[in-house]
Amino acid sequence: MKKILIIEDDLLISSLVQFRLKKDGYETVLVKDGNEGIDAIDHQNPDLIITDVMMPFRSGIEIIHHAKKNHPEVPIIVLSSLGEEEEVVLEAFNLGVVDFIPKPFNPNELAIRVKRVLR
Amino acid sequence: MYNFLFYFLIELFGVAFMILSFSVVLVYLTIMVLSALEMRDFRKKNKYADYQDIITSPIAPGVSIIAPAFNEASNIVQNAKSLLSLHYGRFEVIIVNDGSKDDTLQRLIEAFELKKTDYAFHPELESQPIRGIYKSPNKSFRRLIVVDKENGGKADALNAGINISQMEILACIDVDCILSSDSITRMVRPFMEETNRKVIAVGGAIGIANNCDVKDGTVTKYRAPETTLGRFQVIEYCRAFLMGRMAWSRINGLMLISGAFGFFKRDLVMAVGGYFPKTVGEDMELVVRMRRYMEEKKIPYKVSFIPDPLCWTEVPEDQDVLSRQRNRWMRGTIETLQLHRKIGFNPRYGILGMISYPFWALFEKFAPIIEIVGLIYTLILMVIGDFSAVYFLGLLLMVYLLSLMVSSFSLLYEQIAFNNYKDRKDLNRLIWIILLEPILIHPKVVLWGIRGHIDFIIGKGGWGKMIRTGFKTAEDRKNIETQSNSI
Amino acid sequence: MLESFGQGGLSRLEDSISLVKEIKQQENIPSLTYRLEFPFKDSSSQFLSDSTYSWSQTDSSYISKQFSNGKEIDSLFQSLPADSIDLRFFVFDERSDVSGVASYLETLYNTGDFILSEDQQRPEKDLVLMASRNHYEPLDEYKNKLLSDKGLFSVTLINFLFIFLSICMIIFMVIFKRKRNQKEDNIKDFENEIIEPLTSILFEKSLEEIKEMTPEMISSIYPKQIFQKRLFKKVLIDKIISLNKKMKGDFKDKLKVLYKKFGLVDITKANLKHRHWDNVVSGLVQVNEMDLRDLLPLVKEHSQSSNFHVRSQAGATLLNLSEKVDLKFLRDQNYPLSDWQQMHYLRIIKFVAATKSLNIPILFSSENQSVREFGVKLVRMLGRMDLIEELHKINDQVLDEEKVELIKTYDVLGAHMEVDFINQCMSSDYPELKKEAIKCAGNLGNEESEKILLDLLEQEPDFQSRKNLLQSLFKLNQQTFDVFISNHPNQENLAIQAHLLDPVLNHV
Repeated sequence: MKKILIIEDDLLISSLVQFRLKKDGYETVLVKDGNEGIDAIDHQNPDLIITDVMMPFRSGIEIIHHAKKNHPEVPIIVLSSLGEEEEVVLEAFNLGVVDFIPKPFNPNELAIRVKRVLR
Repeated sequence: MYNFLFYFLIELFGVAFMILSFSVVLVYLTIMVLSALEMRDFRKKNKYADYQDIITSPIAPGVSIIAPAFNEASNIVQNAKSLLSLHYGRFEVIIVNDGSKDDTLQRLIEAFELKKTDYAFHPELESQPIRGIYKSPNKSFRRLIVVDKENGGKADALNAGINISQMEILACIDVDCILSSDSITRMVRPFMEETNRKVIAVGGAIGIANNCDVKDGTVTKYRAPETTLGRFQVIEYCRAFLMGRMAWSRINGLMLISGAFGFFKRDLVMAVGGYFPKTVGEDMELVVRMRRYMEEKKIPYKVSFIPDPLCWTEVPEDQDVLSRQRNRWMRGTIETLQLHRKIGFNPRYGILGMISYPFWALFEKFAPIIEIVGLIYTLILMVIGDFSAVYFLGLLLMVYLLSLMVSSFSLLYEQIAFNNYKDRKDLNRLIWIILLEPILIHPKVVLWGIRGHIDFIIGKGGWGKMIRTGFKTAEDRKNIETQSNSI
Repeated sequence: MLESFGQGGLSRLEDSISLVKEIKQQENIPSLTYRLEFPFKDSSSQFLSDSTYSWSQTDSSYISKQFSNGKEIDSLFQSLPADSIDLRFFVFDERSDVSGVASYLETLYNTGDFILSEDQQRPEKDLVLMASRNHYEPLDEYKNKLLSDKGLFSVTLINFLFIFLSICMIIFMVIFKRKRNQKEDNIKDFENEIIEPLTSILFEKSLEEIKEMTPEMISSIYPKQIFQKRLFKKVLIDKIISLNKKMKGDFKDKLKVLYKKFGLVDITKANLKHRHWDNVVSGLVQVNEMDLRDLLPLVKEHSQSSNFHVRSQAGATLLNLSEKVDLKFLRDQNYPLSDWQQMHYLRIIKFVAATKSLNIPILFSSENQSVREFGVKLVRMLGRMDLIEELHKINDQVLDEEKVELIKTYDVLGAHMEVDFINQCMSSDYPELKKEAIKCAGNLGNEESEKILLDLLEQEPDFQSRKNLLQSLFKLNQQTFDVFISNHPNQENLAIQAHLLDPVLNHV
């Protein structure tokens, strides 16, 4: 079973995403902020990371940095509440994320993208 | 003959104190009413504000956060990181290393891969010489600018940061403050809201972080501090921020924005010449000078205040440190009032001159002196066996009860508006402090204030003479060469 | 004066007759008592058994108990054989003769404890006497004074009021706190209760299936007792709305159907008719987020509200939900649009722009400057290249502040054809406009702009302007820039050159 790490401070969103991904048979780990996120990246060995860009304490960009540096093989999908602000999207892709989904988003769409990335 | 003079004075003082006591009562009751009205409106307005919108909207103004740091090595990297992760679209973080003796700068350079740059700027506000301006080639730290300069004090460091800043709004903060991630969005709102008058500055409430759980840059669990002095400051914070500032904001009479967390319009700060490094009350002095400038230019303006808990700081629980702080505050107040005494009771300066200034002079500056004189007066009456002594004890009791009422009102406020101290035990502890404060702590505060007066009179800081002369206009500050006359 | 008066007054008492006469007028003289005495020879007299006197026997006579009221003397003598009875005075229980009593009275008189009977009858007329009386008032009379002094009375009253108010507040606070904590706990519980079933319905049922759900099925989603609670419904509304904001696609539709199925529309309706503006606003938000088009007539009623929040939320809702998006209501607004409102409208307009055609140019003809500016901003923020021509038409008609917005818009949209207008604005007297035009020239300028930049550089601009000018020149033509710097190698120019060449400051 593939393990997906969800880093997201909005409980509603994360529980929705979690519910959807569990239905597809993934194991999910939920963390609420950047610090826990970095900790989980290092210790949980996820197969995929889904992260928000704006979170308390450590920005998503920093998390992506950390993940790419220490676990370059783990793909990252960004869920952004920053909308489609060009700068952020560009930066995220520059850092090597595989996908960028702006909020508002469709969980089903997310599930499809997750499937594609993990195949 | 002397006898007659003595009794005449006693009589005169008696009338004066009576008028004073009753005006204190009236003023505080007014403040309570005003703040309640303001809080009600604020809460209603806040309910429907979509703060998510501001983060990304191209219409929201850019914000330069300026945080001076002096010997902060142990926490600086952590603090800078939490500033960089604030939720906002367009902002920059300028950390000014004010000639730290420790490795503050070194740690920043290492943590953020900083490089010294050829940043070209014009020192429009004077400050101690800049040694270098650092930025990171790493894009995740693109918002960070570190300014390294010779030591010159907080105001001087802020001025240096302002020179470098690029954005429309300045957020001047203490680097060790804990900022809630949505603090910028909330503080920026007043700047965006007004159309008929210019919002020149927005102040925020400062929460007390002592003994609280802090996680990821926000206070997650509030607890009353362990010590009496700490708890007393919680009550004081409720009174000052939730009640006092709200009331002043209602009538647009705010004279003080806490230096630990204040937002300003950059163009205006520039127009008045930035912070004035020669006073210990630089935060209050700047606000007064900006207001004065607006009054002199006859431009409608407003100084706003946001009571939301967005910024927290550790307050001193040590008596020595606290006494020095209060001494400094008192000197800052005296100096500011002295520098701007031209506006006092001057109808040309509207509310600022006719209400705010007199209030500060009477209730902040002279309060400790008046209290001491009143006490001595009552003692004399008791010694000579004058019946009025009973009467004055009655007045004293009245003022005590007033303080009781004001404090419990402001705590009630905190509970209604934010309900941060959730535990019943904490609430009980705070209620105890309310009862004891006027007896246990207030006399000390009075004493510290008096010491502030004394220190001001004997001219601590060596800049006393200039301050006694005062500014002729708000723009006068720009004509004063502070560098030539170093401390 | 007092002394001479006193002596004169008492000199009359020096003979025993007048002394006794005076004593007979006095009800009480401190420590002065008298007894009646008569010799043994009349021992048979019946009055010895009269208990009023309680006679006692001494060696040679009978003597009565002590009396102090002088006024009783006459009545005491009445039932006795007056001739044989003597009056004896005692001062501090010591027998005293007439002259002793007189001198004692004189002392009392001087201290004010004894007042002549004739003086007692007119005390208020005699100020000096009053004063001398007052002087020795005993302490316990303060008790009355506490209440009789008006000032002190009011202070006391206020004190009690304060105590009362403080106690009330503290009690209120404690009660309030308990309720509040309970409410917060409830909300948390409700939130947890809501999320699970809601997400599962959203994922497991199709839109059609949700539409077909019967009231029974709906009411089985949440336990009945909880669902009936007002607070629960409120939390449910909040959750549905916030989910709706963050979701896309058919999830939005599902949420809207569920909103209606749960019967939450009734709450919205009640909100819209509420007399408190904040409830009205929340009603408007609900209509807006949940597409409750049926309620639009109610929304329209609020579009002219005197309350800013209601008015602006109603406008936003109309904009969002009306079939035809008409910006007329915006054009005709006469109060200035704050940035806050602009942000709000921008979000909605951005959202509806994809599906509905907007008549933005209508805003350019508004009487309201801030609306006109907003119109120009809309062109920029929606990326409406097609409207550049419309903007061109107003280039020369508008105020400098609006020109700033025009220049920014041309800059963002890359409107090369407006370069003449940009060049013209570079020489404006309005600093903000000049600054923006210079910046824009860096991206869109031509040779003409280059010349203007060089001209402006010759005019000894201040540092910030110089930096802007050089930056634009640098972007426009690096060669000209280099030539300029080598011809003007002053400190400022060199510093700016270094800045522009610094890779860390100019990461592209």
